[in-house]
Amino acid sequence: MKYINKPREVILTYLDNDPFLNLSDSIYNPYIKNWQSSNKKVIGYYCTYIPEELLHAAGILPYRIRATGNKDTELADTFMVRFTCSFVRATLDLALKGAYNFMDGFLICNSCDHSRRMFELFDLKVFNEEKINKKVDRFYISIPHIITDEGFNWYLKEVEELREKLELAYNREISDEKLTHSIDIYNQNRELLRKLHVLQIQEFPKITGSEALQISMANASIPKEIANDELKRILNDLEKKEKMDVSSKKRIILVGSVVDNIDFIQLIENSGAFVASDFICFGTRNFYDSIDIDHDANPLKDLTKRLYYRISCPRMMDDHENRLNYLKKEINDANIDGVILQRINNCDLHGCDNMLYTHELKDLNIPVLNIDRESYQADTTRLQTRIEAFIEMMK
Amino acid sequence: MTRAFEIKNRIIPYQMLYEAISGTHSLVENILPDHGIPSLKSGLKQIKSVMNDLIIKEQEGLPVIGHHFAFPTEFLYAFDCVPVCIEATSYLLSALLPDGSEPYYDLITHWGHPFHTCSSQKGTMGMTLDDLFRFDAIITPTAPCDNTYASYPWFRYHKKIPVITPDLPFLKAEKSYPYLGKQIKLGLEELGKVIGQEPDYDKLRRAIEIENQVFRMQMEIFELKKALPCPVENMFNAMAAAAAIYLSGRPEKITFYEEMLAIAKRRYKLKEHHGGEEKIRSIWPYMIIFFDLGLCEWLDRELGMSILFDIFNYNFAEPIDTTSDLETMFNGMARKTMEAPMVKQSAEFYYSFIDECVQLAKEFSADCFIFTSHLGCKQFGSVPQILREALRDEVGIPMLLIDLDVGDKRMTSEKIIKDKIRLFAQTLL
Repeated sequence: MKYINKPREVILTYLDNDPFLNLSDSIYNPYIKNWQSSNKKVIGYYCTYIPEELLHAAGILPYRIRATGNKDTELADTFMVRFTCSFVRATLDLALKGAYNFMDGFLICNSCDHSRRMFELFDLKVFNEEKINKKVDRFYISIPHIITDEGFNWYLKEVEELREKLELAYNREISDEKLTHSIDIYNQNRELLRKLHVLQIQEFPKITGSEALQISMANASIPKEIANDELKRILNDLEKKEKMDVSSKKRIILVGSVVDNIDFIQLIENSGAFVASDFICFGTRNFYDSIDIDHDANPLKDLTKRLYYRISCPRMMDDHENRLNYLKKEINDANIDGVILQRINNCDLHGCDNMLYTHELKDLNIPVLNIDRESYQADTTRLQTRIEAFIEMMK
Repeated sequence: MTRAFEIKNRIIPYQMLYEAISGTHSLVENILPDHGIPSLKSGLKQIKSVMNDLIIKEQEGLPVIGHHFAFPTEFLYAFDCVPVCIEATSYLLSALLPDGSEPYYDLITHWGHPFHTCSSQKGTMGMTLDDLFRFDAIITPTAPCDNTYASYPWFRYHKKIPVITPDLPFLKAEKSYPYLGKQIKLGLEELGKVIGQEPDYDKLRRAIEIENQVFRMQMEIFELKKALPCPVENMFNAMAAAAAIYLSGRPEKITFYEEMLAIAKRRYKLKEHHGGEEKIRSIWPYMIIFFDLGLCEWLDRELGMSILFDIFNYNFAEPIDTTSDLETMFNGMARKTMEAPMVKQSAEFYYSFIDECVQLAKEFSADCFIFTSHLGCKQFGSVPQILREALRDEVGIPMLLIDLDVGDKRMTSEKIIKDKIRLFAQTLL
């Protein structure tokens, strides 16, 4: 009998089959269809360093590109060598299959070597006018890799130029008033996400790590006005619910590369842990800071300030110490038992940041597991074994 | 005595390099016939001279400054210092030591550094982890790739070495040059504060003028490579890459290029090919392999395949104006930095890289391209297929793609590389 696996205690959840969360399962959704039916544009992007509020103020729906559900990179492998990131390859694969044909444009920045090269591949291989019978606009901004006053001025200039390009491309003015209005909507959105986050990190939570990720992905795929209504509805619904008892589970914070499907988090949750927080770009990194608006000043500058000075990702090469401090604070706030550092294979940025965290957290006697994985769920047995052993070790 | 011992040990890998270069140079001088691999003879001789000088300077107590290859060595001659190129040192040791740099890659990988990062940094990181290098400061632009901004923080956060990072914009536009020029100037000033020296811009100007002088010879050699057969041996590519780092801003670089130019001119007149007969003309748009420089000779002599150039030998920046004011000079330095191999391709979209490759293929009568797809290099990871298609459609020539690590023989061995190239060559002949 001792060799028979005991079924794990399953966490009861309140948001199973919630229509908003279900939006995270697919790439296209009815809200996009509705948006485009009134001749409004959708622009795809990869990275949280792009100024979403600016697109919103231009009447454009910013759509965060992801590869949820795609486990096949066969088409993309022709154009990207095997040493590249499987997340970006999977998004290209989907795009080559036509899943992103609904996009009217794309905005790329130099987040990492993998995603920034999507500018050329989207341009040449996906949205080539011979292949797709519509005009797809291409935008690019260059973001500094360090945080300095000079770097801020460079970034601001780039965002100002982007504003002009958008105005020209879509023949509409992006006034300061419109921009301030958009910032208000996005600030409200981040505030709502932070409220939900509180429900995740508290001792007796009301949402799980998987649900938090689904909310964040859905939130990045639809107009923010609708997302805000949905987030308020979920918060109201959860208010009436009982708190979950996760006291028997080890509380984990998930750190590292982008996670755009719940399989990986569920693997952790099904191994006897509770994912109480995260430090990933579909998670807290995206909503931790809001924009302080000085209504007498320049909203574009305020917007750029948040983007530039917020909690960074490892593309910012001089900011590891701040990231570590944030991580330590979140470990404390969410009462974390252990840290799971993960990177998608070939992700040099998160791989090296995780290397430093491993040593720094061990020095603080915080249990830490550092693993590599593919973007889609693969190599499950190895991952599960390592995660279970890690959780066992903490008991 | 203790002080002398400590100082001596700040650049142990340079002593290893010096000994390896001396041994190899001695073999080349004494065993090879007079006409055998002149670029190797001359290159090693000049690098040995510089290495010897740097070892002496280090013993005198000058600060040891680590730098990225994308921060040109001659810029550091604004100071009295011992420059150590992080990337070039990994790869020169990879080429010259019997076990290569692999033991040092393993050291840092065991410490937790991801296996898929660039071996050019891993080698020196391993050496620094083992305290074989003791840097007083490090300077790197925030380019050309993820490996740079991923790996260099380790020096700052783990080894507590001051790391200065002039920001390099990933955008080829006029506004980029004054921005980067100012970043370089601020970077040098900050570096000066760390090592307790004021940047000496007259010294810097003199070092740049040497580079300007070399540029003219580089362009002459480049032009001569259009000739059939190519009058420059394959090994020149490797030695020129090493010279670009170790001889930069030094008179030894002028001597090296004068000798190379003279040989190229003589061969051009005589229509001589180093390997005897030139059968295939290849362009390597990325790097050649460093863990086995013998491949260059094998290609020349066994296959009759010329490597017309690799990435270090077709990206040339215009000379820097040293006669006007400082701002003009720094803007010129920015232009040079942004034209450096790999940085140029990072700061631009692929379109100009593809156009340039097509143009080079036509102008230099190339029969094929060989693209070494290096494990660490993600910024080039999306270009091979679109380059292959452009070469096929616009020039009608094929491209061989080889997955490897240019500095680690364990990923793809010399034998596998040779087999692939031999088979590819058979399809061409």
